Amino acid sequence: MSSHAYVAEIATDRDGNEHVVQGWQDDMYGAKLGFWLFMFTEVLMFGAMFMTLTYYMMLHEADFVHASASLNRYLGGFNTVVLLISALTMGLGLLKMRHGDIKGAKTMIWATIVLAFLFLGVKGVEWSLEYSHGVFLGLDALQPGNEHSKPFGQILFFGMYFTMTGIHGVHILGGIGIMLWLLKRINSGKVTPEHHILHFNIALYWDLVHLIWVFVFPFYYMMGAGTEMDTATLSSTIEAISHLGGSNEHH
Amino acid sequence: MSKSYLDLDQTHCAIGHPKTAFWQWMLTVDHKRIGLMYAAVIFTFFFVAVATAFAMRLELFAPGAQFMDGDTFNQAFTLHGVIMIFLFIIPGVPAVFGNIVMPLMIGAKDVSFPRLNWFTFWLYITGALVALSSLWSGEGFADTGWTFYAPYSLTTNTNVITTLVAAFILGMASILTGLNFLVTIHRLRAPGMDFFKMPLFVWGIYATAWIQLLATPVIGITLVLAILEKYFGIGIFDPSKGGDPVLFEHLFWIYSHPAVYLMILPAFGIMSEIIPTFSRREVFGYRTIALSSASIAGIGYLVWGHHLYTSGMADTAKVIFSFLTFFVAIPTGIKFYDWVFTMYKGKIILTTPMLWALGTIITFTIGGLTGVTIAMVGVDIHLQDTYYTVAHFHYAMLGGVVFLLFAGLHYWFPLMFGRMYNEGHAKFAFYLNFIGFNVLWFPMFIAGYYGMPRRYFDYLPEFEIYHQISFVGAVIFITGLITMFYVLIRAIKNGEKVGPNHWNATTLEWHLPTSPPPLENHTKVPYVDFMPYEYHHGQPVVKFDYETMKRID
Amino acid sequence: MSTTNLGSYKEAQSGYIKILVGLLVLTTVTFVQPHMFLTDMNLGIQLFIGVVKAYLILAYYMHLKGETQIIWFAGFSLFIVAVFFIIVIGFDVANFQYMDESHITQHMDAPHASHATH
Repeated sequence: MSSHAYVAEIATDRDGNEHVVQGWQDDMYGAKLGFWLFMFTEVLMFGAMFMTLTYYMMLHEADFVHASASLNRYLGGFNTVVLLISALTMGLGLLKMRHGDIKGAKTMIWATIVLAFLFLGVKGVEWSLEYSHGVFLGLDALQPGNEHSKPFGQILFFGMYFTMTGIHGVHILGGIGIMLWLLKRINSGKVTPEHHILHFNIALYWDLVHLIWVFVFPFYYMMGAGTEMDTATLSSTIEAISHLGGSNEHH
Repeated sequence: MSKSYLDLDQTHCAIGHPKTAFWQWMLTVDHKRIGLMYAAVIFTFFFVAVATAFAMRLELFAPGAQFMDGDTFNQAFTLHGVIMIFLFIIPGVPAVFGNIVMPLMIGAKDVSFPRLNWFTFWLYITGALVALSSLWSGEGFADTGWTFYAPYSLTTNTNVITTLVAAFILGMASILTGLNFLVTIHRLRAPGMDFFKMPLFVWGIYATAWIQLLATPVIGITLVLAILEKYFGIGIFDPSKGGDPVLFEHLFWIYSHPAVYLMILPAFGIMSEIIPTFSRREVFGYRTIALSSASIAGIGYLVWGHHLYTSGMADTAKVIFSFLTFFVAIPTGIKFYDWVFTMYKGKIILTTPMLWALGTIITFTIGGLTGVTIAMVGVDIHLQDTYYTVAHFHYAMLGGVVFLLFAGLHYWFPLMFGRMYNEGHAKFAFYLNFIGFNVLWFPMFIAGYYGMPRRYFDYLPEFEIYHQISFVGAVIFITGLITMFYVLIRAIKNGEKVGPNHWNATTLEWHLPTSPPPLENHTKVPYVDFMPYEYHHGQPVVKFDYETMKRID
Repeated sequence: MSTTNLGSYKEAQSGYIKILVGLLVLTTVTFVQPHMFLTDMNLGIQLFIGVVKAYLILAYYMHLKGETQIIWFAGFSLFIVAVFFIIVIGFDVANFQYMDESHITQHMDAPHASHATH
């Protein structure tokens, strides 16, 4: 049953023509198709969350713009660039793998992993900043009926913000996990320039995670940019981070 | 004696090469064995849910409390719904016959990702165990109904989270099944078999697989949001924080309405296999049946809002949903006319599977037409959440999907086990079931029309007569079910041995070298240059030499 | 996926880097736009830029160019998401009838006490 021993069967039609039978073994295109289908389920999942977000944006537009303006756009933008570069390293890693440069491919995967951790670190700083402003799931500001309560629209905006960036972060974590697994498979010779479908699919996954961020970013961070509520500036960002103290020095 | 897939060592395993039959079953990647294991688990759960339903019927025999209080009753109908929907009917036909029969029908050796298939089965088992675990822990099973409507599901103290987690895991299993089947159908069809040479059951599975893939994630994320809501109080569905419960209903039904087509489409596929086989006639309107499966799946995405007529949705949306809902009836009607035309001037043989199929034509027609009545906004305002609706979906689901699942069970039984059940006894069981079913559910249309609300454990005295007739029906129906399974289970061991093509059918799953089939299915993959249901003067046209899989007609 | 039709490594690498530059430029535009032009349709422009970026990623990084079958499937999936949006947002929420009386659309200045004991 091992795939290297697999020889495709031949079916013969009534005119004696031979047709190669596609088996489930060694089906590169099938594996790629399967992974794309899996990615569509992710698209549907995030699609449903974006729909939830739009639903409440329709009901509370002013609140949404206001809440968006208070997010830290520079940290979000920095993370956008981090993901962009990580997509490049991932792509180059695959390219090297396909051209037989296994060592180079591994270096690139490690680079992607480092960038992924950087992303999570910045995300952590961002959440801590918001926490220090009293905005976090479970804190008074996001609960109804007390003196710190934010209006409904903002409660919903921040609720969705933490949910979606959190679920996206879980996907980043999952990505790190499968990249480490990929490295293990490369080391044990299971992924080779000839059989690199696993590498290919993991690269696809990483691009998908990037792709989702491409829409998360404008929806949350940029909606309130340029409005009069907009307070996020580069200098205030740096100041805020320095106030967080030693506990959050990720990089 | 040649070996079949049921024999020792006749399987590939996901991990290692175990020696014992037990581990060979637990670790098997063979699609036929996995299908059989699904069948065993699914029907076990079916009986648990039937027992719960029967307990509710007993409680409802007379007005007032008999032996169950209201809270227990709430948990009972939730348990019944969750098991029937998530553990029985959603995996149902695809997991059992999609696994056992679909690869055989397209001439494949297995599904595209056999190990994933094995993993999916155990994911399903995990989900089932998580669901059941909440029965005995904490405040007991959820009491929200299987729909988990917010805001009640967010405030109740019962184990809603466990049930939500279970439904999420089961949803993942469903997605992976669909994914596996889609790739299988796209990649592993025998040479020459294009999409319009596939058996209609494969079309049903194909349309279903798309729904599994592209609707299930929506409920997946909805359940995740509800879990996060309960843990962290995000506010998305909680009106005290501005959340809109109607949005929960939208998201829930975006999946759960297409899910009923996910249930019925492969069942219709079974019908499309049985009717031509036992009419000994090529199916009438092959392309229209195939494409109506696809269009039911497509239109099915557009109609979920008919569950929300009384929920506070905008009037514009109600009218649009009502309008769109009627369209589903068109492809469904086309299928029914095609089946009836197939039988016209055919040489009809009233075997047990054919009886089940014919019975379904009656019951599903009732279920379908009553569905059209409640698709109308005005009528639905009157009938929403009454026994009328309950009777409607039991006629459509039990009288449609489950009847056809039983039809398939009788149809493919000789294929799966190489033995035949006693047809006389099986037919007797069918009549018991058919009569019991109608006596059980038809009175509910009337009770519902007069205002008997669903999910109540008590009722006004004027409804007593309907509940008592229903009870009698339930007794007959359950007797029929037990008889049916007794006849089938006994035949697994003691049934008369039969050859590979017991029914004189035409599709590829009947052209196997041994009965039951060997491990890797067909001896050779055939070249397919024929339509799936070619009969001439009541005899199959295409004949194979089972050793070389070359046509010999 | 074949290993026979790879082209030169250098060529492919420079392709990847060109796309990266394009994406970086677009990211810069997202930052400049809210302060410079078309500020009254901010979110629309931002999402449009997102779509362009998504196109670049899909076509080049995810190798979707020429994959006819997968493009059709992807189109179908996105179409279904669009249907959800059109129906839920376009038909239902856009026609929300209870804006003035509904509890969930309570405005910022309204008293908080009314929903404290839900």
